[in-house]
Amino acid sequence: MIASTGRLVGRRLSEIRHIFRQSPIVGSSNAPRRFSTALNYHIDSPDNNPDMPWEFSEANKERAKEILSHYPSNYKQSAVIPLLDLAQQQHGGWLPVSAMNAVAKVIEVAPIRVYEVATFYSMFNRTNVGKYHLLVCGTTPCMIRGSRGIEEALLKHLGVKRNEVTKDGMFSVGEMECMGCCVNAPMITVADYSKGSEGYTYNYYEDVTPERVVDIVEMLKRGETPPVGTQNKLRIRGGPEGGNTTLLGEPKPPQCRDLDAC
Amino acid sequence: MASVVKGVVKAIREKGIRNFFNVLIEDGYANCLLDGNLLQTKIHSIGGKLVGVDQFGNKYYEKIENTQYGRHRWVEYGDKSRYNASQVPPEWHGWLHFITDHTGDELLMLKPKRYGVAHKQNYSGAGDEYIYHSKGHALNPGQRDWTRYQPWQPTKT
Amino acid sequence: MGFFVLRALQRSRTPLSRLLSPQNPTFQSRWITSTTDLHKPEASAAAASEAPRPEIPPPRTPVGGARVHISSPEDAIEVFVDGYPVKIPKGMTVLQACEVAGVDIPRFCYHSRLSIAGNCRMCLVEVEKSPKPVASCAMPALPGMKIKTNTPVAKKAREGVMEFLLMNHPLDCPICDQGGECDLQDQSMAFGSDRGRFTEMKRSVVDKNLGPLVKTVMTRCIQCTRCVRFATEVAGVQDLGMLGRGSGEEIGTYVEKLMTSELSGNVIDICPVGALTSKPFAFKARNWEMKGTETIDVTDAVGSNIRVDSRGPEVMRVVPRLNEDINEEWISDKTRFFYDGLKRQRLNDPMIRGPDGRFKSVSWRDALAVVAEVMHQVKPEEIVGIAGQLSDAESMIALKDFLNKMGSNNVLCEGNGIHPHADLRSNFLLNTNIGGLERADVFLLVGSQPRIEAPMVNARIRKTVRATHAKVAYIGPPTDLNYDHQHLGEGPQTLLEIAEGRHPFCSTLLSAKNPAIIIGAGIFERNDRDAIFAAVETIAKHSKAIRPDWNGFNVLLLNAAQAAALDLGLIPESKNCIGSAKFLYLMGADDVNLEGVSNDAFVLYQGHHGDRSVYRANIIFPSSAFTEKEGTYENTEGCAQQTVPAVPTVGDARDDWKIVRALSEVAGSCLPYDSLAAIRARIRAVAPNLLSTDEREPATVSADVKPEFQYNMSMSGFKSAVENFYMTDSISRASKIMAQCSASLLKK
Repeated sequence: MIASTGRLVGRRLSEIRHIFRQSPIVGSSNAPRRFSTALNYHIDSPDNNPDMPWEFSEANKERAKEILSHYPSNYKQSAVIPLLDLAQQQHGGWLPVSAMNAVAKVIEVAPIRVYEVATFYSMFNRTNVGKYHLLVCGTTPCMIRGSRGIEEALLKHLGVKRNEVTKDGMFSVGEMECMGCCVNAPMITVADYSKGSEGYTYNYYEDVTPERVVDIVEMLKRGETPPVGTQNKLRIRGGPEGGNTTLLGEPKPPQCRDLDAC
Repeated sequence: MASVVKGVVKAIREKGIRNFFNVLIEDGYANCLLDGNLLQTKIHSIGGKLVGVDQFGNKYYEKIENTQYGRHRWVEYGDKSRYNASQVPPEWHGWLHFITDHTGDELLMLKPKRYGVAHKQNYSGAGDEYIYHSKGHALNPGQRDWTRYQPWQPTKT
Repeated sequence: MGFFVLRALQRSRTPLSRLLSPQNPTFQSRWITSTTDLHKPEASAAAASEAPRPEIPPPRTPVGGARVHISSPEDAIEVFVDGYPVKIPKGMTVLQACEVAGVDIPRFCYHSRLSIAGNCRMCLVEVEKSPKPVASCAMPALPGMKIKTNTPVAKKAREGVMEFLLMNHPLDCPICDQGGECDLQDQSMAFGSDRGRFTEMKRSVVDKNLGPLVKTVMTRCIQCTRCVRFATEVAGVQDLGMLGRGSGEEIGTYVEKLMTSELSGNVIDICPVGALTSKPFAFKARNWEMKGTETIDVTDAVGSNIRVDSRGPEVMRVVPRLNEDINEEWISDKTRFFYDGLKRQRLNDPMIRGPDGRFKSVSWRDALAVVAEVMHQVKPEEIVGIAGQLSDAESMIALKDFLNKMGSNNVLCEGNGIHPHADLRSNFLLNTNIGGLERADVFLLVGSQPRIEAPMVNARIRKTVRATHAKVAYIGPPTDLNYDHQHLGEGPQTLLEIAEGRHPFCSTLLSAKNPAIIIGAGIFERNDRDAIFAAVETIAKHSKAIRPDWNGFNVLLLNAAQAAALDLGLIPESKNCIGSAKFLYLMGADDVNLEGVSNDAFVLYQGHHGDRSVYRANIIFPSSAFTEKEGTYENTEGCAQQTVPAVPTVGDARDDWKIVRALSEVAGSCLPYDSLAAIRARIRAVAPNLLSTDEREPATVSADVKPEFQYNMSMSGFKSAVENFYMTDSISRASKIMAQCSASLLKK
């Protein structure tokens, strides 16, 4: 009797294990999903501390001056976002505390006001990123179209975790919320910091597949620039696959609105 | 009654008359002459079943048949001259008051080893009374200091 | 009798109401009447007779004494709160309109003294024709707006907000120091659900280290940003910020940084939850088990209004009390946290120094007899009395009267210098008044560092600078004032240049409408104080700072006792009286320089703390501290206020004036007063303004009697009057918390 009960229990256990193996927890990493942004406070480290000297380069000083000229002189603090972006481009894709302090000095506000902005926007990285920062859209349309699989493919190919930099410092993968390409979902963005703030690009690659993102990464590794936009050969930008099937003619003007009449 | 007489005769024969009277006095039969309560207890004990004796010599009796319900458990105090209810230790208290059917000998095992204190009867009015002293009282051994300020200590300058 | 009066009033109701109400018959809006007015029978009768609409609910009194001041009739607009019309000035928010109408709107982020954030959404109300509930704190009231505050829509909206707030708020009220005085706790009683629908994990946030005063439990934070706004706007230290976004949002400093503000304790009060609590008070007491005593603060000359919360014989904490004219609702950190000094280093027995140099406790009887004997042995002019900086007016007048009776006229108060001018009150008071500083447009600080001398005055100047962009110029040693200021120079040289009109700042000063010149009390100790005062008076004359409608000549005093001492005439007769003294009566004087005292002088120290002077004393009389006695203090603007005993005094200590009175009897020249009332009657004869408490007696200015402008001032620069903001008097020097503060916050 005991033997038969044991056999039953064993069978049931293996069934349960089987069920769990069949449906892996959605998402790539085993750890629970975290916020995409890093810590909201600063921890001193050798490459990121307030005592580190940081200044805009000569070329970027000119650009900063140009950016500041867009705003009234008593509203210098409005330039905080473009200046932080500039600083991030100059510093290889991320913002150490000293860079934020330098921005605060330029726009003449307390450093905390700059920290507030830098922590608010997830496009400002406050930890080291790769030369190519790959951002996978994780919002609903892309997720439905398989962005989790794309992230998984990228992470597997690069052998890193999310927000981690590869050993050669070339790549890092992050998550970004909707970037407005839902019609071409799923999509990734490549922020290219390899050429400094002069050659900085921020390109969208849409309609990607797990295989295609690996191709893109390989091309980037070889120094090539993959074609920007949709990766589906059959689509033209946001248009339907294989060309338009409807609305083929010129659209008629609206009938109800006779603009001359009124 | 006959059994009582028979027992008395048997005891005299075994111990001798002198020892018998010593035992009688020890058991408090002498006190019965002045103490009706004790006499009543002694009479009540006839036919009762001795359930146990505790460390103080209190004897606990029980008699189920031919007894009024509620008077079927009683104690005969070990101290024959000055007895009171506080002499019953806590392990027997429950049995005596029909709280439990476990006797004190059984419940003694539950007594905490580490912090269980020995039972002490209430000596109120007998000199060694326990008087509660508040936390700030000088006679409380754990007297607490209610001074909420620290005085300046004069130092030699 | 009352019935007949009522009948008579009723009969005369019609003409009365016509008299009280405007002639317009269609007038139906509600005028803001004070509560006392409403209590008058004729006013309420008039209100009843002129409101014919039965659906209007009975009038409610404005919340928290909210008053409206409508400058001109065209600025007034009418809104309807719960159907009730209220007249409010233009620019008021919906929330303020509701307050005027007597409806208390729940709120977390809104604070009347801070800018509007509008991020807690707790103050949602329904406004007619608005599709959604509106956040009343951020919505300006518009004419004819129909605001509904207790509709199901508003209530449901607030319940929803509350549910979201409680989503990430820990349910640790039993171990939270805010428990019992927590806005969230109170409001969740009204709008919270009895059960949660939230089953996920709650968010947790790393605690921040804001220094030795403010304890943070950031998980409790509801992101109202009151502390951020307070630090930025009032305290003027831009350290706190809102970091992150979404559910990861948190308050912090980002980099490791302490809050180095002298007002940082106020974030404890404004925090609506238990995220920012008092570190010294942590887990000490619950707010409902303490007795609140409304008294005043004596750590500086401002006399901030405080409430001393005590439990039994112990002062547990100090919190501010609202006084718009003095401290608004803030107090400095020293005021708030120096209370633990009241429990340390206390003198509790009379002590005599024996021949071996050791102190020995004696009875009052013996101690008084010894002192009386010594006093009779010395010459009368060798008796000198020095009142300390925490002395109240009663004890100072008693000391002066006693020493005068003994034949000495050498009574002074420390901090006032050796030869103060007490003839003109305008020469030692903040004549503009603290509240009046808000009308100034140019400040000239002469040797005064208000940030460490009087933080509440500094907060007022900062408020003015923020609101009106008033210019601040400063002469003195380099210092960190937390507003934009022009550092003109370090010493009298600059002052001289301004007085002679040679300095570039003169043009600013001359074009100012309401210039305020503030002289620091540190100048009292300088030998050339007359010359400096004369120079400042010349500047004031040139810049028209003293006019009938504006008096911009100010002296910012340092200590609580100073103003009253000058009012009572505690002025020594001879200039080097301390050096020639054979009997020195120190009534709590710890900051007076005793180096010049001769070795054979007999020093009596009467005070509550074993501080500096006890080490020179021959005999010690223990007295009670300001939390233990009733005393009158005059603040730097000439406003007399009284302390109220909050806790019993320690040991064998007695009130200062009682000791003086007892000593006078033993010494054979008995003072004629036995009670506080009698001693106040005596004060009435000397300085009657000290008895009209909470009133300001404006100093009359007569420019003619002022000394002429002299040039014989020394050119040495002004020194800071306060070395260490956290340790200025015997109580704060005894305080552990203050010692921690000066160790961690003052290090550069």
